Amino acid sequence: MRSDPRLSLNLAGIKMANPLIAASGCYGYGFDYTGFVDPAEWGAIVVKGTTLKPRAGNPPPRIVETPAGMLNAIGLQNPGVEYFLEEIQPRLAGLGCPVLVNIAGETLEEYCQIASLLDGVPGVSGLEVNISCPNVRRGGISFGCDPDVVEDLVSRVREAYRGPLVVKLSLEAGNITAVARAAERAGADALSLINTLKGMVIDVGRRRPVLANITGGLSGPALRPIAVRAVWETAEAVSVPLIGMGGIRTASDALEFIMAGATAVAVGTANFVNPLSVREITAGLLRYLEQNGIAHYSALIGAARNER
Amino acid sequence: MLEQKPSLIHRCQLKTNEQVTGTWHCLKLHAPDLCGARPGQFVHVRVGASSDPLLRRPFSIHHVVAEKNEIWLLVRSVGAGTELLLQARPGAVLDLLGPLGNGFPVVDEAAPALLAGGGIGLAPLYYLAWLRRQAGLPFELLIGAASCSDLPADDYFAAQDLHPLYATEDGSHGYRGLITGLLEQRLREGTPPARIHACGPLPMLAGVVELGRRFAVPTHVSLESHLACGVGACLGCAFPFKKGGQIEYRRICKEGPVFNGEEVCFEI
Repeated sequence: MRSDPRLSLNLAGIKMANPLIAASGCYGYGFDYTGFVDPAEWGAIVVKGTTLKPRAGNPPPRIVETPAGMLNAIGLQNPGVEYFLEEIQPRLAGLGCPVLVNIAGETLEEYCQIASLLDGVPGVSGLEVNISCPNVRRGGISFGCDPDVVEDLVSRVREAYRGPLVVKLSLEAGNITAVARAAERAGADALSLINTLKGMVIDVGRRRPVLANITGGLSGPALRPIAVRAVWETAEAVSVPLIGMGGIRTASDALEFIMAGATAVAVGTANFVNPLSVREITAGLLRYLEQNGIAHYSALIGAARNER
Repeated sequence: MLEQKPSLIHRCQLKTNEQVTGTWHCLKLHAPDLCGARPGQFVHVRVGASSDPLLRRPFSIHHVVAEKNEIWLLVRSVGAGTELLLQARPGAVLDLLGPLGNGFPVVDEAAPALLAGGGIGLAPLYYLAWLRRQAGLPFELLIGAASCSDLPADDYFAAQDLHPLYATEDGSHGYRGLITGLLEQRLREGTPPARIHACGPLPMLAGVVELGRRFAVPTHVSLESHLACGVGACLGCAFPFKKGGQIEYRRICKEGPVFNGEEVCFEI
């Protein structure tokens, strides 16, 4: 499928053919879905959370289905940044779309080390700093709740990495707009929101939590109205572009986020259900533009706010 | 540009949906593109169009009838997802991803392969047995269940010229006891087999691997898991394996579902 100029954008310096991004953790390194869709159909792909050292991840069970959603507690399983640089990075150019690397550290220093290792690396268009993973004991969300900690962390990662820097936020913080402002002050070029929300399911037969990790992150359509609200509130608080995500399955879902103020949207869990999501959402967005006589999708960013 | 691979997403018409036991149905689908699936591979089936239940359900390839462009799935009703799937009537079009996973090795050896299926775990072994029969490769099919009322009737197997040995816990059909008991008896008394292929609940597979170790027979076990993506992207189905004194997680959907039994870390 050829890219359509009505959907193109420049997100914090990253040239994208369309505003659809494959969400981190849901698309591996971009190669698992090549039997279904050309990765170049995405505006960008954010690869699996990468840490300084390899991480084995959490014991099973790691996932459980919930009403219109699922919980996951993968625990940032990944082969580490060195393996990424040696084995995966050389293959990324073949994907045909910009690739961002989601990074996570257990300490502030680790975030900076990973960021500087990825600085200037060809094939890596930007970083998404994960300060919102709910499934690891150290790091992750523990960094993402305090605006002062976020400001310190993001400014130091900013010093270590010169390319486009996205910070991924969680609603667990409670004060997402304060955290968003802190990230913006510290030099984030864009914000992505929201990460999964921590939840749990109990197996009443066994009288135990289903997940070995006890809790996991909720994703899928069940999350969507909460995520739209978070984008709405954050869009009012900051001026950097937002990447909205949380339960997007259709073009109409994507439009909700865009109209709430997101410049781009990420699709995660929907890929598991329908690997053709990216193609169908792209087609749906173009149909909406045609039906409403709109020349470029960007006219719809924040559109739901304009009429108020 | 990446090399263009054949698409793994298929829309397949349901030809028949027949009950074969109390809670088991055999779904026969028109699926010409899936007829090349290997035994032990699986398809990931969307059970409905709505968001609830959200995820696809994995089913191993139960049988392939290539001349009819047909694949069979053996589906046990266990919850909302499978209930919804089993409501599908002939003519309905199902959305399948596949064939996924690695499958069982089909090895040409003089000694027989023992095929042990526990409960619904017999599904992939039915096709493996049929393929070995077609290829003239020796095998013995062992099937276990709580009671014979939990299993398809004998003619379900005889129709493919398969004549399994049965183990039922209540003794209603064949050997009285667990399938691992029957397997042990067979290993002790029969021709030494070249290998054992097994699919079923984890405790059964652990028992099969233990027997394989005792009788020095290689084991290939097919693991079952809830899956989200089914294609290796989400890491949701990772299971622990032993590697050089260390534990490493492998994806059941991608590196499996069939694994060398010796490497599976059952004690989780």
